[in-house]
Amino acid sequence: MNYPDNGAYMVAAYIVTAVVVVGYAAMLFYRSRKLR
Amino acid sequence: MTRRERALRTVRRGTVLTVVALLGLVIVYVRALMFTPIERFQGPAQKIFYVHAPVAWASLLAFAVCGLLSVGYLFMRDRRLDLLAMSSAEVGVALSVAMLTTGPIWGKPIWGTWWTWDFRLSSTLFLFLLFVGYLVLRGALADHEVRARYSAVLGVMALALVPFIHLTVYWFRTLHPAPVIMKPEAPSLPGVMLVTLLMSLAVFTLLYGGFLTVRYGLAVLEDVRLEEAAHELS
Repeated sequence: MNYPDNGAYMVAAYIVTAVVVVGYAAMLFYRSRKLR
Repeated sequence: MTRRERALRTVRRGTVLTVVALLGLVIVYVRALMFTPIERFQGPAQKIFYVHAPVAWASLLAFAVCGLLSVGYLFMRDRRLDLLAMSSAEVGVALSVAMLTTGPIWGKPIWGTWWTWDFRLSSTLFLFLLFVGYLVLRGALADHEVRARYSAVLGVMALALVPFIHLTVYWFRTLHPAPVIMKPEAPSLPGVMLVTLLMSLAVFTLLYGGFLTVRYGLAVLEDVRLEEAAHELS
């Protein structure tokens, strides 16, 4: 079956989500290290 | 147990919850990318749905929780409600960044444009900017009581926007698709896609819970540190 060739957008969206989520988790971890 | 010890325990519990959610996110990624079929008309870009919709749900949940806690604060004047509301607002802003970037990345190949100023998109951006303002306002006010009261009023006002945003796709002409789950009729997705979406919704809800718990623990630790500093000065 022929699909539209837009896989790059999918990859970009998944990378952006991972960067935001992991980035925020890392920021919280860094702040907790500073406050302990 | 002192307040500081309780806060540290909260941070530890939140960290465990966050790590579990991040592992769940890895499973969702593998399932969505490798084991969920490609939609015939939209192609691979349709899979953005499995991260965009759940992250949008989690961020709107965060803003709604902030608004409800703000209502609680205005009635009870409990400092913990204020700190929890602020924590939820910050988590909501962080998750909104993912929502507001994955949306245009999905829109470009499907709608042919990154952004359009229709009601759903504009009101979501407005809500995000409102909560950025909420966090800036908190940073600008030194007095705790004033800061908590002003930001609670802003949080309550923003709460009114959340159901409005959900209903904009029914009330106005918009490019944004209508909900596939949160609607009166049965979900309009094939079973395998629905399972992936539900898994992702559960993982992002758990992630929100983990982030909120850690952030609240940190907010209490910051509060304890300020109290200790004020005590030393006096």
